[in-house]
Amino acid sequence: MGKCEICEREATNEYCELHEKAHENIVQRYEIWQEAMDISWREYLSALAENSYTGSWAKDVAKHLNQKDER
Amino acid sequence: MAKYALIITEKPDAAKRIATALDSRGKPEKVEDNGVPYFLASRDRKLVVVPALGHLYTVIQDRGGRNYYPVFSFKWAPRYKAERRAKETQAWVEVFSKLSDDADDFIAACDYDIEGSLIGYCLLKYACNGKESVAKRMKFSTLTKSELEKTYEEPLPHLDFALIEAGRTRHEVDWLYGVNLSRALTLSARRWSGKYATLSTGRVQGPTLRFLVKRERAIGLFVPKPYWSIHAEAEIKGSACEVEYERKKIGRKAEADKVVQDCRGKAGKIESIEVRKYQQRPPIPFDLGGLQTEAYSLFGYTPRWTAGIAQRLYLAALISYPRTSSQKLPPAINYRGILEALGKKPAYRKLTSSLLKREKLTPREGKKEDPAHPAVYPTGSLPERALSDQEKNIWDLIVRRFMAVFGEPAIKQSMKATLALDGHHFYLRGRQVLKAGWMRFYKPYIRTEEVLLPPIEEGEVAKLRQIAREDKFTSPPPRYNPSSLLKKMEEEGIGTKATRADIIQTLYDRNYIRDKRIEVTALGFDIAEILHKHCPRVISVKFTRELEEKMEQVRAESERRENVLVEAVDRLKPMLEELKKREERMGEALSNAVKKARMEERIVGNCPNCGTGKLIILYSRKTGKRFIGCTNYFNGLCKTSFPLPQKGTVKSLRSECAGCGWPLVEVRTKGRRPWRLCFNPDCPRKEERKKYGEMRDLRERSN
Repeated sequence: MGKCEICEREATNEYCELHEKAHENIVQRYEIWQEAMDISWREYLSALAENSYTGSWAKDVAKHLNQKDER
Repeated sequence: MAKYALIITEKPDAAKRIATALDSRGKPEKVEDNGVPYFLASRDRKLVVVPALGHLYTVIQDRGGRNYYPVFSFKWAPRYKAERRAKETQAWVEVFSKLSDDADDFIAACDYDIEGSLIGYCLLKYACNGKESVAKRMKFSTLTKSELEKTYEEPLPHLDFALIEAGRTRHEVDWLYGVNLSRALTLSARRWSGKYATLSTGRVQGPTLRFLVKRERAIGLFVPKPYWSIHAEAEIKGSACEVEYERKKIGRKAEADKVVQDCRGKAGKIESIEVRKYQQRPPIPFDLGGLQTEAYSLFGYTPRWTAGIAQRLYLAALISYPRTSSQKLPPAINYRGILEALGKKPAYRKLTSSLLKREKLTPREGKKEDPAHPAVYPTGSLPERALSDQEKNIWDLIVRRFMAVFGEPAIKQSMKATLALDGHHFYLRGRQVLKAGWMRFYKPYIRTEEVLLPPIEEGEVAKLRQIAREDKFTSPPPRYNPSSLLKKMEEEGIGTKATRADIIQTLYDRNYIRDKRIEVTALGFDIAEILHKHCPRVISVKFTRELEEKMEQVRAESERRENVLVEAVDRLKPMLEELKKREERMGEALSNAVKKARMEERIVGNCPNCGTGKLIILYSRKTGKRFIGCTNYFNGLCKTSFPLPQKGTVKSLRSECAGCGWPLVEVRTKGRRPWRLCFNPDCPRKEERKKYGEMRDLRERSN
């Protein structure tokens, strides 16, 4: 069993159970955001990372994905 | 020495009040024996009224040490033998024993509920050498003279054994679960890491933490959705009125922009006006939960705080017994008598006299009942001492709620005018109270605002003065607060009215949760997750509720205490076996959680100098003194450090200084009020604080 790329908890894939669930939520919601305001994936991640309603684990994933993209 | 009747009460204040009510001159003699006060009163015979200090007996392990589990053998013993902090109760038990020698009549006059009945029973059985079978019981809901005299003259012929059995069962089951599960956690962590940390869970504590963790997960995983709303103002007869667009939420930005574009600067016609009159019935009387919820929303008092204030008001004979689940007010409490007595206070005179003019007084009641007590109501007695502001608030709230339940329904009117504009519709909404009814009595605590609209007619033209798109996002579910959590526990049927507030407090004390808008700490989260993973039944709500129902059956005499205990042990055994099997893995997870929590507790905030490190409370290797330093010091990047007071405890407040924005810490030293410390040596508020401190010192000295 590996470690979560974000928090180093136990992980089966890239993320631990919580960050995995947050990742799923982020991917699922993108379609709604795209339809609502015609936004790119990168812009979407940045908007989530700055939004005060985004949950802390979802924020971690949004920031992590953004940084990964930059790299 | 002449024989006397020994009256056992729950607390010193209650003893004084009962002795005063029963003494024929109203002046009982106060005696102190080894620091224990009691009262000598005379009536038809000599009475000795002795207070307990709440529970003087508790459940303890029958034999063996603390470092193993499972333990299933227990006994009842004086608290001073079990708890280090209860040493003072030894004198109280001894005084009871001594006074029981010359007594020939025994009367339990503790609060009439499970806990009160159990307190009296234990004292009679253990301290008074088996007098529980001959003792009588005074049953009362208020500490007023008239009710106390009546119940003294007509006591119940024996103790309320059904309540006692229910109380014994609850204490014993809670002990079995609390001790075994907490030991399983603490010992597995200690065996893994070699370090001690108090970790606890219990029959109700575990499921309560689970609710909070579930909510924390929903909040932490939340991804908001965008939506838009339209903010607009119309001009009607020269005055500006806020109007509401027909769709509260618009899912696409382009659509919202189109609405703004279509309507900006345009005029429309009032297409229709709907007026609706409706009645609002009076509120129902307070049970404890209702009082706690209302006090939290009006004054911000936590449920535990409110229960404490209500208990003091009860001991001052100002209100009836507050730990009740009833929402009923039986006529036997004498509505008129109470209102007449309350009318002696000028603030209530007008209100009570308007109610007293009625031929018949009928309260609106709720559904819930309590076999032992009615809903919370004012006794009609006026305060004999100055009440604190908080006591005044709660008393006034109870008095006004009592009056309000007799009030007539309020009549309200709502109005909705529809403004049609180029195929779009906007609503103007107004609301108004036409007849106050019960609201007159409850006025300071009513939170609805009236919105009056200018006189409008159908066909009238209104122009939009302003229109704009508002960007919004869906929000995560709200955090629980102590009041909503208590309500949730009540809805789910776990815990009792007497224990729920204390269980919430235990979660705070264990550092599993923090803040008024409850946030689960990393430690609380990990504990719940570990239990969920290794033994989910410990935090199962269903399981706890079933046991709760069984205990209720003991009170209703349809189940026996022994059966419930056997069943509780049967359910507990496999859980403990599971925990034992997984002790090593659980120990590792718990030790890591504790380590992480301790580390987190030491973090004060971000370093204001390097911006990337964290400020943390550290101890010097050379001197052992504590200070604040930056975590980047260990990488050789930042040397920021600040001194800290060496006495007392220091903890991060997780808030920022209003003067400089640096993190604040709280310092607690024995005998002093806790103080907030901004450790920034250049904080602009430093001088201000210094002056304030000097002034305070001067004031203290002159007092």
